[in-house]
Amino acid sequence: MAVDFAGIKMKNPINTASGTFGAGYQFQHFMDVTALGAITTKGASAVPWPGNPQPRMAEVCSGMLNSVGLTNPGVRALVEDCGEYLEGLTKAGTAVICQVAGHSVQEYIDALDLYEELAPWASGFELNISCPNVSKGGLAMGATPESAAEVVAACRPHTKRPLIVKLAPARAKEVAPAVEAAGADGLTVINTIPAMSIDVRTRRSRVSRPTAGLSGPAIHAIAVRIAWEVCQAVSIPVCGIGGITSGEDAAEFILAGCRAVSVGTQNMVEPAASVRILGELEQWAESQGISDINELVGGFIC
Amino acid sequence: MPVPSTAYCYDFKILENEQVAPQMMRLRLECPELARSIEPGQFMNLRVPGDPSEILRLPFSWSCKDAEAGWVEFAYLVIGKGTERLAGLPVGTTSDLLGPAGHGWQVPAGAKRAMVVGGGSGVVPVVPLVGALREAGVACDFVQGAPTAARVIYEKEICEGGAELFISTDDGTRGTHGFTTAVAEKLLNERDYDVVFTCGPQPMMRGIWKLAEAHGVACQVSMEKLMACGFGVCTTCLCETIMGRKGACMDGPVFDAAEVIW
Repeated sequence: MAVDFAGIKMKNPINTASGTFGAGYQFQHFMDVTALGAITTKGASAVPWPGNPQPRMAEVCSGMLNSVGLTNPGVRALVEDCGEYLEGLTKAGTAVICQVAGHSVQEYIDALDLYEELAPWASGFELNISCPNVSKGGLAMGATPESAAEVVAACRPHTKRPLIVKLAPARAKEVAPAVEAAGADGLTVINTIPAMSIDVRTRRSRVSRPTAGLSGPAIHAIAVRIAWEVCQAVSIPVCGIGGITSGEDAAEFILAGCRAVSVGTQNMVEPAASVRILGELEQWAESQGISDINELVGGFIC
Repeated sequence: MPVPSTAYCYDFKILENEQVAPQMMRLRLECPELARSIEPGQFMNLRVPGDPSEILRLPFSWSCKDAEAGWVEFAYLVIGKGTERLAGLPVGTTSDLLGPAGHGWQVPAGAKRAMVVGGGSGVVPVVPLVGALREAGVACDFVQGAPTAARVIYEKEICEGGAELFISTDDGTRGTHGFTTAVAEKLLNERDYDVVFTCGPQPMMRGIWKLAEAHGVACQVSMEKLMACGFGVCTTCLCETIMGRKGACMDGPVFDAAEVIW
């Protein structure tokens, strides 16, 4: 089941979506975190971010909206608190991808530099240029091929480790080749889909901002389509994310061309979901008569 | 490494699920691990089966348990699709829960008399204090606010647990006509308390805290917030405090009322 995702050696294709898996230690009562191919830590910035006010969450049909706004204690505090644990994961063979957040090109560089200095154990970095819940940057930085490429090109010289870019659902197949040309080693597709839920009694948004990010099974089929389009548009490896709740959901991304997959929202409702999904993915590969999962990557017939 | 949640994932079976008051049900779960480990003020996050389009768990506090018999119980208001689905689950239904979660009530050492104030479904998480206070040798005055007489709950458990029960109803059909704050104020004027514990609608908790503060009495509140995970990952169950934004699932649900920004 081993795969090479953007230069990151994963013992299996299962990764976790940033923001749904904390720093991994939160899941230790529920599962063996070292069974996973990788985890992606919650986005961290150079300085602490308070995030958005409440309410930050609203449940919708087959999914949830979040308007967390990348609340985080900053790279330094995250590494101080969790560095030892995360280093232990890498020693146990589970890659640790640290997500980097920023509002501007310089803020991404500052956060990445801090990680470079403080986290020699990190297996790679994921630039989140597609968070829908931060006003400046985030989604805006990744909204066009030009601005996305600018962030990646500026960050590229600051690390020799694998640099992965998390794309927004909109314009992903145009943004993807631009960030590949700018030096990205891999892509994560997709971030949450900007969405909206209105309380018709109060006529207000059910979260603290008008729009928020939709995740969960509701976005799965959309995510598979976008991942498939992106996989055709680039030659760097792609990690598929979006509403994975079963091994078959993960298998769809693999067939669409993804080298790895991330379990997201399901981690929060079923904390041991990622290991269950790994088992189901293995069973599926076996059912296809395949022992090397890489042979199934891009196996979609059309 | 920061301390993870005390929650584990346990299977449970529904032993009883019956209506106890208008719009209010009482659920008893067989879950020996939870019955052994859950502390007063902690909560559990239930997976309510029956509708795959509703993916999130429902968080509930508990009111009674029997560690030896292996059950945990709580009352809940039927107020949305999730609780409507829960109310329809027959005895014998199995599912799983995450618990025990969060930080519960802290009975201060040396306390002699405590006031417990529960309003509406907020009575549920303060009921276990009756036993905890009795064990600690602390006298307990229990103020329960309900919309109407039929919605007074856990009366037997509170009284047999050795607490003195004071009731207020919004419509005056039982006890004092009005809110718990009127009862609490009278008691605070008449008796010496070392601590006040409260859970209920936010304006009620704020009112109780203001009264406790004016009388120089410490106050703990259970802040129940919308949450996705309940074990410190999703960062959605914010409580604004003087120390910054805290997660109700990990740093709470019980907070020192003086630290909460109301």
